[in-house]
Amino acid sequence: MALNALERFLLTLTLYNLLATAAISVYGIVARPSLTKKIISLTILGDALNVLAIFVGFRVFSIPPELTPEVELSLFVRSAVDPLPQALVLTAIVIGLAVNLFLIFLALQVYRLYGTLDARRIRELRG
Amino acid sequence: MRRAIVLVSIAVSVALLAYATSVAGALGNLGLETRALAKMFLTLAYNPGLRELTAMSPEAVTAIVWDFRGVDTLYETVVFYMAITAALAIYRGAPKVGGGGVGLSLIVRVVTRLLIPINIAVAVSIAVHGHLTPGGGFQAGVALAVISVLLAVVYSAKSFGKVGVDESKVIALESAGFVAIAAVVFAPLIYSSVTGAQAYLMQNYVKANSEFSFPVEVLGQLISGTLIWFNVAEFLAVSFSFFIIFMLLSLREEVVRPALVGEESGS
Amino acid sequence: MDVTLALLALFSTIGLVFTYLAVSERDLVRAVIYSAVQSSAYAVLLYLLRAPDIVLVYLPVAVGLYPAALLFLIGKTEKVDGG
Repeated sequence: MALNALERFLLTLTLYNLLATAAISVYGIVARPSLTKKIISLTILGDALNVLAIFVGFRVFSIPPELTPEVELSLFVRSAVDPLPQALVLTAIVIGLAVNLFLIFLALQVYRLYGTLDARRIRELRG
Repeated sequence: MRRAIVLVSIAVSVALLAYATSVAGALGNLGLETRALAKMFLTLAYNPGLRELTAMSPEAVTAIVWDFRGVDTLYETVVFYMAITAALAIYRGAPKVGGGGVGLSLIVRVVTRLLIPINIAVAVSIAVHGHLTPGGGFQAGVALAVISVLLAVVYSAKSFGKVGVDESKVIALESAGFVAIAAVVFAPLIYSSVTGAQAYLMQNYVKANSEFSFPVEVLGQLISGTLIWFNVAEFLAVSFSFFIIFMLLSLREEVVRPALVGEESGS
Repeated sequence: MDVTLALLALFSTIGLVFTYLAVSERDLVRAVIYSAVQSSAYAVLLYLLRAPDIVLVYLPVAVGLYPAALLFLIGKTEKVDGG
């Protein structure tokens, strides 16, 4: 079945919203000086890219990839969404979580040693 | 006001770009067709007719995570373990329990005391049913990790010490989870060296030239071979790792700072 | 027309709005709250994309653990994004 113009517009709009969110969070990582703000923007970037990966596997008029007893196999294969991006995103979320938690610990240690979390002042320190 | 102008201009430009792309028809088959690889995984997830290729789990995502792409998940668990160890290493030398703090009022404490058993029951149910319904090891682990945040905030950091939760016990439980995962991975190897038959690492069911298999069903209930053991072990490992993280994060700075900063400055 | 597509567009737009608010906000506690609202919108988005496993991971992680750890960090360090 094909999509009409309004449905295609909404699908494309979702895609561009996710890409724009990723772009804004990259701006947040680069342009804001506080280390905490950089960590917040990094978590938003990870979320946006993970949802984008699942969006690539999406299918309109579909069911989640769980086989229930009343659905028989050929209907399941014809109408379920792609389960592989979901498995890969599961891995990506857990690795992102581990790295972000470690970054928070490192930021705490930087504050203890240098007294500031402002990237511009840290750049001017020596040693 | 300036932020509102920027926000509206971003939203309008995104909508215009989306309209232009959708009219030009540049998206192709997005949202309409799935790939052949997806069809293969969906066919093989629960297929009693193809016993040598299937994962015997009606939940396709858990079958992919622990059976079809199990080595990916194994290494991701290793990365998680290394990150937790690195966070613990930053806190070397510091006293790890007996912080301080006051906690919140009586009403919040009573409500939290009601919520904690509910949370534990939901988390265990998500872990054990991971091969039948949406769920699994990580989901259950992070659902239980919310309890450690609640304890650190509502009951204050020194409550961990009063309940008998000190860091060596939590690290032991977390490591037990990881060792259980390693045991399930290496069980075919031990079987093969004991009986001399052929078996593969992380093998789940009977293959073409190997007779070793984890039990598929227990008393008529589907347990899907290694999937349930992996889910339960991962649940233990992830949830106790978060206990350590929040036990360390909730320590007060006055307690921790002398030990950590003194070491770096050489005093 | 499928209601799912309209809801997808709506919640991704909400995510975009709150992302911009979180990035451009000076007060860090408010930025964490905006980011938690954006994560809730993304959790609904993931449910609409037929991914219940991911919702079960994403909801405690992005709405519970990240704001909790970030608030601990903010409480021990600076509270304002200077600059």
